Formats: sequence, structure tokens, C-alpha cells
Amino acid sequence: MKIGVYFCNCGTNIADRIDGGKVREYLEPSGRMSYFKTCPFLCSEDGKVFLEQDLKDEKPDRIVIAACSPREHEATFMRVMGQAGMNPYLMQMVNIREQIAWVTEDPEKAVKKTSVAINAALKRVELHEMLEKQELEVSPAVLVIGAGPAGLKAALTLAEAGRRVTLVEKSPVIGGLPVLFEELFPNMECGPCMLEPVMAEILHGEHAENIELLTMAELTEVAGYFGNFEVKIRQRPRYVDIHQCIGCGECFEPCPVSGTNPFNNDMDEKKAIGFTFMGALPNAPYLDPTLCTRFTEGSDCSACSAACPMGEGVIVFDDQEQIIERQVGSIILATGSTLYDCSRFDNLGYGRLPDVKTALEFERILASNGPTAGEVVTSTGEQPGSVAFIHCVGSLDDDHKPYCSGICCQYAFKYNHLLESKLTDTKILHLYKEIVSPGKEEYALHRAARDNHNATFIRYDRISDLAVTGENDGQKIRLPDGNSINADMVVLCPAVVPTADTEKLGAMLDVSLDRFGFFEELHGRMDSARSKIRGVYLSGACQAPADIQKATSQGMAASGFILSELVEGRKIELDPLFASVYPEKCAGCKVCMRVCPYRAIHFDEENSVSVVNGVLCHGCGTCVAACPMGAIKANHFTNEMILAEIEGALK
Amino acid sequence: MPEKPKLAIYWAASCGGCEIAVVNLHEKILDVDAAFEFMFCPCLLDTKKKDIEALPDKSIAITLFNGAIRTAENEEMARLLRKKSQLLIALGSCACEGCILGLANLHSKQEIFKAVYLDNPTIDNPAGTIPSPASEVPEGTLTIPAFYDKVKTLGQVTAVDYFIPGCPPESHQIWNVVEAVVSGAQLPPAGSVLGAGCLSVCDECERVKEDKKIARFYRNFEITPEPRKCLLEQGLLCMGIATRDGCGAPCPQANMPCTGCYGPPEGITDQGARMIAALGSILDIGDCKGKSEEEIAARVEALLDSVPDYAGTFYKYSLPGSIIGGRVKR
Ligand SMILES: Cc1cc2nc3c(=O)[nH]c(=O)nc-3n(C[C@H](O)[C@H](O)[C@H](O)COP(=O)(O)OP(=O)(O)OC[C@H]3O[C@@H](n4cnc5c(N)ncnc54)[C@H](O)[C@@H]3O)c2cc1C
Ligand code: SF4
Ligand code: SF4
Repeated sequence: MKIGVYFCNCGTNIADRIDGGKVREYLEPSGRMSYFKTCPFLCSEDGKVFLEQDLKDEKPDRIVIAACSPREHEATFMRVMGQAGMNPYLMQMVNIREQIAWVTEDPEKAVKKTSVAINAALKRVELHEMLEKQELEVSPAVLVIGAGPAGLKAALTLAEAGRRVTLVEKSPVIGGLPVLFEELFPNMECGPCMLEPVMAEILHGEHAENIELLTMAELTEVAGYFGNFEVKIRQRPRYVDIHQCIGCGECFEPCPVSGTNPFNNDMDEKKAIGFTFMGALPNAPYLDPTLCTRFTEGSDCSACSAACPMGEGVIVFDDQEQIIERQVGSIILATGSTLYDCSRFDNLGYGRLPDVKTALEFERILASNGPTAGEVVTSTGEQPGSVAFIHCVGSLDDDHKPYCSGICCQYAFKYNHLLESKLTDTKILHLYKEIVSPGKEEYALHRAARDNHNATFIRYDRISDLAVTGENDGQKIRLPDGNSINADMVVLCPAVVPTADTEKLGAMLDVSLDRFGFFEELHGRMDSARSKIRGVYLSGACQAPADIQKATSQGMAASGFILSELVEGRKIELDPLFASVYPEKCAGCKVCMRVCPYRAIHFDEENSVSVVNGVLCHGCGTCVAACPMGAIKANHFTNEMILAEIEGALK
Repeated sequence: MPEKPKLAIYWAASCGGCEIAVVNLHEKILDVDAAFEFMFCPCLLDTKKKDIEALPDKSIAITLFNGAIRTAENEEMARLLRKKSQLLIALGSCACEGCILGLANLHSKQEIFKAVYLDNPTIDNPAGTIPSPASEVPEGTLTIPAFYDKVKTLGQVTAVDYFIPGCPPESHQIWNVVEAVVSGAQLPPAGSVLGAGCLSVCDECERVKEDKKIARFYRNFEITPEPRKCLLEQGLLCMGIATRDGCGAPCPQANMPCTGCYGPPEGITDQGARMIAALGSILDIGDCKGKSEEEIAARVEALLDSVPDYAGTFYKYSLPGSIIGGRVKR
């Protein structure tokens, strides 16, 4: 076997410390090396031309390149090998710069170390196999789960790029949380209005035909992998034909039954047929079968249908649940977050005292389409003379959520601003542990709140330092210093936490959750819009507490990844460094099944052997070490290669 | 009648279990006798060493050699039988890998002698005599075979044609080998394992296997295992995953975890290391998200504490044949 060694001087970086000539003398007697060539800068244009030509002339079977870290130039040299017509995996790179030249004082020792390292590579490279990249057909279609700001932006971005998108939303409305908010920090824009252009594009825009919107729908099953997911979606019946309905609302009035409205946090009532709130999109009501007497009592009421100006058939009493199957290449999770359960804090009185509200409830009180039509009133219908905002409820708290939720200070200052204009005399109290308002726009509201002469700021240490108790005419809050202060209304700003669906979806898609229960990103700084599962992306508050800016940016980031990783018409290239099971060696013990961090291993029950899916495998080698049969081979890192390398270093 | 091929069964450092396994061929032993001239077997026949020495080289067709190499005598007999035999077959775990007595490699010869001849509470040895290859007595010099510092496998002292693993090998597997040799069937390349499978005990074990995740280990007496579920998944330290098959998995099917007597599976050099690597991948210390390093370390510790005896569990049969071979002295 003809094995050539290329020794790069890296200018003086390597040559200053390691004498290539001596290394050559040291290695020659083993007879393992067919030739040894030195180059001043192998990665330079000249160096690459030299390498390519030399490979064409020498036609070696294998080569060893002694130069810098493979992280720096392995790919460079592999490309040159490809150009020279040599399989790029028939090379072993030895890092003699960072690992030897830069860290070895004594030139004698440096020569010895280098020779040992190259000898190890020579032994190993003999066993290298020609590996080829494989290609796989993929589906360019995308499934987006959740139609909040993150999911909407993602869906629209992808649709605009010509992708088919299936947008699955659990509730009857799109827009996520912000469509419930009257105004938004930092610039006090109206929530529904801000999202309206995006929602309108999705529903009727130029690219709407690329988007299949499924409301009242949830993902129930997933099979397959990156590029080829088979998904099943269950859509609950809406009982209203969304295409025929014009959203006039004539049907609400005649309906004889009503119940509390979950979209107003049960603070008011709605009819069995109705909108979640005025202005909700898609502009069609839904019928709640837990209220409608046709379902609860088996009645034959058809008051709503009779009232429909569009005639019969718009309200579809026999609407059925649908199971919709789609094939997609990638999936974006954009399911948002929820608020920490405030009833865990007995001292705050939430759930017991009618005028202790959560921020989400307060948003609805502020909203003109909310239960009080935007009037801030207490449970007795009076304007509050004082409102206390308790920040950091459950946040920054090792017993609850040890992180800062980031958005709460912002919306509390938003409330301060809204109250200042709505109720000019109302006293405002901010109770906080820390205050954050980073960002180029965000400080303005903080400043305004500080400048509000009706507002007082009091810092507390632990949530247990506060106690909210009911008084005849409102609430009394005991402060950390032992004094008490009255508040007609108390608004809690709880930690942002993962929704209940996060765990379920995580298990279904094998997407890991972080220690707080949010979907875990591939890398916190560099790759927060990707999960650890290839082809599953994360956007918005389901990955971490987020404001709308971050949520929409992540939606677009995920779209960007999809557009670059799954290009229509282009097959995906599979890195050949994956693991594979020798079926004849597998004893079916299933030791390997759970160890793969990328869920690339499944069990073929028929043949009673494990199988690694090369598309999902990242070649990490975990399973190779786990298999007690030695039945799993990691391409390019076989046991034989590793042992040969060790032997070459020791002998 | 043409002369029958000669068969020898020798025991070196062993317990005699392999001979019993041969005798357990029951009436088939008659077939063995019909096919071979059974001419050397110290526990059954009175042939002497000098009789063997007198034979021409390669005149024994098959020697089934059981027992490990503990003394100079064991080695001498191994070399002699090698010379006189056409096929030298390592029979049983001791000859193949060193087996239980190979655990002595965790101690030096001095430590062993001290424990056996000096500190042993049932020994009365006021003179502190310990065995020595040559001892001077008034009558002259007494010699006994030297006791080696380390137990060795048969393959470590001489070339071995085939290996039949097991402690002891299953009788039907011994029969399979004998039958194959008698029938003149093509034998696999020298150095192969005979009378065993190529997978692991799991392949023969009928228990239902699922994904594995072990939160703690139990000693056998601590639990009554559920009869159909994989024992390892129930926390019993079953070595089946890292043990060659061929035995038919009698132990796990009788609710006893495999202790590994058939040695490492095909292609695996170190049974214990493989087992440890596999366990390292499936031991489960629970959700560590947000847990302190101390707590994580304590959980690992507690789990490892539930493994009773590392060497005696993972290397019960294979220490001398393993990569490190025993305790390494510096
Ligand atoms: C009280 C409060 C006030 C706020 N005020 C502001 C503000 O003024 N300005 C600002 O920038 N940010 C504000 N935020 C933050 C803002 O709400 C979030 O940044 C934003 O909602 C995140 O968008 P998202 O798309 O990630 O999630 P969401 O808006 O929560 O949307 C998620 C969507 O996914 C759907 N979904 C959930 N699970 C499933 C499932 N299993 N299948 C299908 N669909 C599912 C939900 O129904 C929802 O429609 C506020 C947050 C709160 C709590
Ligand atoms: S660990 Fe090895 S032998 Fe066991 S099932 Fe996986 S591949 Fe097969
Ligand atoms: S090498 Fe790593 S990524 Fe590939 S199958 Fe094995 S454990 Fe999974």
C-alpha cells in the first residue's frame, strides 16, 4: 500500500519547532511510509495546487497530512483530494501545530512526538475505507405547530418561498397570546392590529394557497425522520363551515344556552355558538358541544342555523372529527408558553380573593373586546383606587422557577402606562425582586413608569415576604418591612412556563426538554431555533420565555434553516460517518435502544435486530461503545482503526 | 480392526467439573469409546506421564485439555500434550480464559501463600512453612512444581487448535464437537471456538427484552424476578448480554442471572470491559436536570454500590484472558 505523508511547515508555526527532515528520518525505517513531502503552506492556494497535482502524480492509496487541527483544514484537504480524484476519506490528519509545535519547548521532544503521532496515523490510515456521501429524496413541505406570532411568521415566510405549509392550531383562533392583548410593549401598538397583516396574508394573501390552516387541530402521531416525516393530525369538529360563514354573528343571539368563556379566562359568558372574542380570526364562530343542547340533552334546537343569513348548511351539526395525514420534510414547534400556576402561592390569595388577578386576566380586563369592554373595574364593578403589580411571582426563585421570565417587567410597565391614561388618580404599586428592561425600545416604558407620580416601587426579596389578605373593601398587602398597604386590585406577574403539551409533543417527536421543561435547543447561543432532532425546529416561547420580537425572529430563523437544509428538488447529502449494525452479530439484547441521543436506533422485531437510521445518526459512537456484542460499526472510527492508531503510538 | 484414534482428557488447575460434563454424555460415552481409544485421563485411567512421553509426536488424535495453568507442572503437561496431539482443544472456561481460579490474579503469589498457609485460621504452621519448588530436608531435596505468580490460560502457554467454552461446557456441546471430529466434517479455522454460538446468551434467552434502563441492582436473594421479563431490566446483574451463547440460556430461564461462563462473544476480547461499557450506557441515575454535582455523584455512587463485587461479577471467568489479565503491579 502506497502511503504518502505531507508535512506542512505552516510558515514558521510548525517549522520553527519541528524539524521535518528529522521526522522523516525517524519514520523511514518502519517502511510504512512511501514518501514524505514538505510544503510551506499546504492550505494556501499554492499549497492546494501542489497537493492536487502531487496526488495526481503519485497516486497514493492513502495519505497522512501533518498540519494544523482537522477542525481548521480537514474539509479543505478533503476537497482537494476529491478534485484530484481520490476518495477524501482515505486521509488521516495529524494536528502537529496546536498539539505539538505550539506546546513543546524542546525540539528533540517535538520531533519524537510528531513521529509517534504520524506513525499512529500511518497505522490507522491503512485501514481507512472509501466512504461515499449518500443522497436521499426529501419532502419540501413543512408542518408548523402553533399559530402564535412565531408559527404565523414561520408559515408565512415559508409560503412566500413557495413551500407547502400545514399550520396546525389547537384553538379555534389564530394569533396566539398577543391577539388577546389590547396593547403591546414596547411601543403600545394594538395587539390584534399588529398581527392582522400577517394573519390576513395567511388567510387570503397571495401565498395563502400554499398554507393549509387547520384550527382546532393537534398532532397525534409522527413517524419517519428528517426529510420524510409522516404525520397524523386530529381535527376536532367546529360545526361551522368556515368557508361559507361570513362571520356576521347573527347566530349568537338566538342560542338559548351559554357558559363561561375560556378566552376571557372565564370572567364572562358566551353562547354555545360564538366567537372566542370579537375580531377573532378565522372570522367564523365555533360551536361548543359541551354547551349546545343538541349534544348535552339531545334536543333538536336549530336556532342558530335558522338565524344564519347564509342559509342552511353553514352550521353543520353532524360535523365529525377528522384524521388528516400529511407527509412533510420538517416540523416547526411554535406552541408557546403559559403562566406559572399562582394558586401555589397561598400567601398571594390567588383563586381565593376575587380581585387578585393574573397578568393574562388583567390583559383581558384591559381589552376593549374583553369581559369589561376595556374598563378597569374590580369584582364589585368599581374603579380601583389602587392597583398593585407583583413582579417576579415564581421567577428568580429556586423553589419555583430559578430564571427571569424577561417579559413581566415590560408588560407591568405597559399596565402602568395604560392605567395612567385610563384612571388618572389610581395609585400604582410595583413590588419587584429585580427589574429588567434591556433593548433599544424597552427602557422608555420603564422610565415612564418611574416618572409616573402615582407609582411607587418597592423591592422584596422572597415571595414569602409578601402576604395578600382580603379586607372589607379590597386587599391588604403586608410588605417586607412589616407595614401594610391597601390595594383594590392585585395583579400577579407569574413566571413564564412551558405548556402542558410540551412534554407530550417532546415525547412524540423525541425532542428533549431542558431542565425547566421547555423544548431544548441544539445550542443556546448558536442554534436556538433548532432542536437536537434533525428536521425539528423551535420557535418562540416554547423554547424559552420570549417577547414577540424574539418569537417572530425565531420563526423566521427556523424557516431559514428549513430553506437552506431542505431545498426543493435537492436531495439531502448524508455524511458517511454514521453507525450501522451488523445484523448477523446483533443478539437483540436491546442495550443500544435508549442510548442514542438522536433516537436513530430502532428495533426490527421481525429479524430481532437493531437498526441504525443513517439519516438520523450523527456518528457520535455512543451505541458503538454500548453494544456488548461489538455489533455496531462506526464508519471511519472502527475498533480496528482505533486500536491500530493506539498501537502505532505505542510501538 | 484398524487402530482407533487416541483420545486424551487432561486436567490442569481445575475442579473436575469438565470431566463430569464429559461423563454426563451418559450412554453417548459408549459412542465416544467406540470411536476413540480413550487412553489418558488422570481421574479415570492409570496412564502415566512417561507413557505419554514415550508416544511418537502427534500420535494422540485429540486432547481435551481442561484447567488453567497455575503451576509449572500444568505448563509442562500442556506443552507435552501439545507435542503429542494432532488437535489440542481447550475444554472449559479454565483452559479457555482462566475461570474462577483466575481471580487469584487480583493477588500476588505472596499474598495467596500468606492467606492460605500463614493467616488461615484452620492451619497450624508455627514454622511458617510455605511451598517452595525445592526444600531441603534431612533426607535430601524435595521438589514440587513451582507455583506461578499469575494464572495463565492454555492459549497463553502453547498453541491451541480449538476452544470449547463453559463452566463446565454443556455436555451436548461437547458431544457436538466430538461428533464433528468423528464424522470427519470440515472443521473451522484453527483458533476458533467450537461447541458454542456466535451471538450472546440473549439470543437464546426467551425472556422479553425491552429498552434498558437500570435504576439499581439487586442481589439474587433480594427479589423474585418476574418470570418473562429480561432479568437485567429487573435489576439482576445478568451477564448474558456480554456472554457467548451456546449454553441454551439455562440460567436466566431458571430465574438465575447469567454469570458469564461461556466467556466473551465472538470478536470481543474483553468480556468484563464490554459489560461495563454496556452497563455504563444503560444505568439510570434519574433525571439530573438542575441537580447539583454532589447530588449526581452521590446517585452514581449509590448505583455502583449496588454492584456487589466488580471483578467477581464482570471477570468471574475471564480475568487471565482479559486485556489487563489481573492486578497490575507497579
Ligand atoms: C400577560 C402577557 C403580556 C404580554 N405582553 C407582551 C407585549 O406587550 N409585547 C410583547 O412583545 N410580548 C408580550 N408578551 C409575550 C408574548 O405573548 C409572547 O412573546 C408570544 O405570545 C410568543 O409567541 P409564540 O408564537 O411563541 O406563542 P403563543 O403566542 O403562545 O402562541 C402559541 C400558539 O400555539 C398554539 N398551541 C399550543 N399548543 C398547541 C398544540 N399542541 N397544537 C397546536 N397548537 C398549539 C396555541 O393555541 C397558540 O395559538 C406577553 C405575554 C404575557 C403572558
Ligand atoms: S446492543 Fe448490540 S447486540 Fe444488543 S440489540 Fe443493540 S446492536 Fe444488537
Ligand atoms: S453513533 Fe450515536 S448517533 Fe449514531 S446511532 Fe449510535 S448513538 Fe445514535
